[in-house]
Amino acid sequence: MFGGMMRKEIPLGLLYSVTGTYGAIGRDLLDGALMAIDEINEDESNSISFKTIIGDPGGNIDEYHRMCEDMLRRDKCKQIMGTITSIGRKEVTPIIEKYDALLWYTSPYEGFEVCENIIYTGAAPNQHILPLFEHMFTHFGKNTYLVGSNYVWGWEVNRIARELIAAVDGEVQGEKYLPLDDVDVERIIDEIERKKPDFILNNLVGNSSYAFIRAYYELGKRNSDFLAKTRPIVSCDLTECDLKHIGAEAADGHLSTAVYFEKLNNDLNQTFRNKVTKYFDKNRSISSFLVSGYETVHMISKSISIAQTDEINAVMDALYVCEFETAMGRMKIDSNTNHACLTPLLGRINSNLEFDIIDASKHPIVADPYLINFSAEQFSRRIVTLERQAANDYLKVIK
Amino acid sequence: MTRFYTPNFNGKRALILHRNGESMKRLTRQLERLGMEVTICWPEFPKSDDVYQNGKLIFDIIFVDADNGYDDLFPWLLGAPPVPLIALLGSELPGRLEWAMSQNIVSHISKPIQSSGVFSALVFAVSNFEKMKSEQLHLESLEMVVNSRPAVLRGVSALMKHGDLSESQAFALIRKAAMDNRTSIEKYCLALNADIFDKLLINSANFKNSKKAN
Repeated sequence: MFGGMMRKEIPLGLLYSVTGTYGAIGRDLLDGALMAIDEINEDESNSISFKTIIGDPGGNIDEYHRMCEDMLRRDKCKQIMGTITSIGRKEVTPIIEKYDALLWYTSPYEGFEVCENIIYTGAAPNQHILPLFEHMFTHFGKNTYLVGSNYVWGWEVNRIARELIAAVDGEVQGEKYLPLDDVDVERIIDEIERKKPDFILNNLVGNSSYAFIRAYYELGKRNSDFLAKTRPIVSCDLTECDLKHIGAEAADGHLSTAVYFEKLNNDLNQTFRNKVTKYFDKNRSISSFLVSGYETVHMISKSISIAQTDEINAVMDALYVCEFETAMGRMKIDSNTNHACLTPLLGRINSNLEFDIIDASKHPIVADPYLINFSAEQFSRRIVTLERQAANDYLKVIK
Repeated sequence: MTRFYTPNFNGKRALILHRNGESMKRLTRQLERLGMEVTICWPEFPKSDDVYQNGKLIFDIIFVDADNGYDDLFPWLLGAPPVPLIALLGSELPGRLEWAMSQNIVSHISKPIQSSGVFSALVFAVSNFEKMKSEQLHLESLEMVVNSRPAVLRGVSALMKHGDLSESQAFALIRKAAMDNRTSIEKYCLALNADIFDKLLINSANFKNSKKAN
């Protein structure tokens, strides 16, 4: 408590598009944040409460800067949670720096950035594409087909993918991009049928992604070489919030990496699931975005309470020394990179539109946003080791 | 297209020639995040004993204050840095830009330093520097060809006279001998003398005779 004084009200900006291409993701991030804010505001024992300022740019990139500036200047926010894409984040970064505020960025992204006015709570490439490809190369093969939406996320994650494929002497069997929201996926499906890759990396977003996965399901119905079980589509940002848009039959069996899945088995997640059911309704699915929105608000709250101010340097100093027990597991922000230490998981979609967790990193991984600790030789050697282990495991099973 | 790999500066050494302050601390933090080891020095270049090992500069990249940089700052000939040079620009005065260009800078960052821009400046600097170096080598080899032209002319005409050969016969002999000796025609011609001419002619005659015999 601030010396037993009244609770201090902290303005908190929430800048998420809940309509447009990323509507589903934005909705989950916002809902998670609002749920945590209500929790904090209702608890009288907290030394702070939040005054929430919501901005919905509606997927219109020109709105981000204006709405962010309003939050900073008019509403005196020192903390803003928001933006989903890197384009959105880059759009608000200069104004965040100008007002010396703190942006809490809660989505997985393609890395190669450390801004001292941004806290990154989503996964960086060494926490998504790297562990994902370790699994895929070991269990499915190295010949890969790459698809993506035509903007920086798809381009860069696919570029990293090409580097990983080259490191293990695999083959990039195709690389195709679609404009945002384009659902004309047939030519891509035709090429995949001709090339027969071992698996497909999907960096399409929103409607394009849903249409692609459904079209692949149709391909599988007429050609049994293309079933999710044997030749899956894998993604780095497909979560529970997308599944209902794809449909159970088409989604079943495909893979995605995330730092949280609803079925994650730990006590805090059980508690969290109960809270979600109570706050929304029992049918509400929980994605890594919903959790990320929720846990990030709690991180902000705890850091401000310790710092006893929302001035950003004090908040960051408090943040760096905290460890957060979350529904995702233990989290910490690395003071060197401002990125979260996270535990990557691999989920396989089941017929109930849930992710079964089939692989998980043994321990939290420190973010390496510039991939300075990546070496192609080491990666290649690691794959060889993992292949041997997988072969041994297989032998154990059939004995 | 050659494959573009993720640039990695982990373990590289940077020298910043700039007065230390908040902006340079920010630059240092950003470089350290990329795994680099940073030395800051101003207003002079560090002492030779400290920064040269076996005659080689220990730094992989140098940042220099283009607002206050001066000609005698560097211990090398004007415009011939041994490693990539990145300008830290506050002023955009033409005179300062002229100075930076005269030093052959290969990239720049605007002051005050922000979190973004450092990585791309490094990537451009290393790439441009390598391009510049390979162009210089190419230029030097072309200059060598041009400068050696009189020697080649002398060699060919001397061999023509010595062996009573046509110009194309003499040139063909010299070219073959240069190739056999794994050297350029130009370098080979610089070393030519009457003894070598005799050997060349004997070898050539033997070669022809052995062909006839066959």
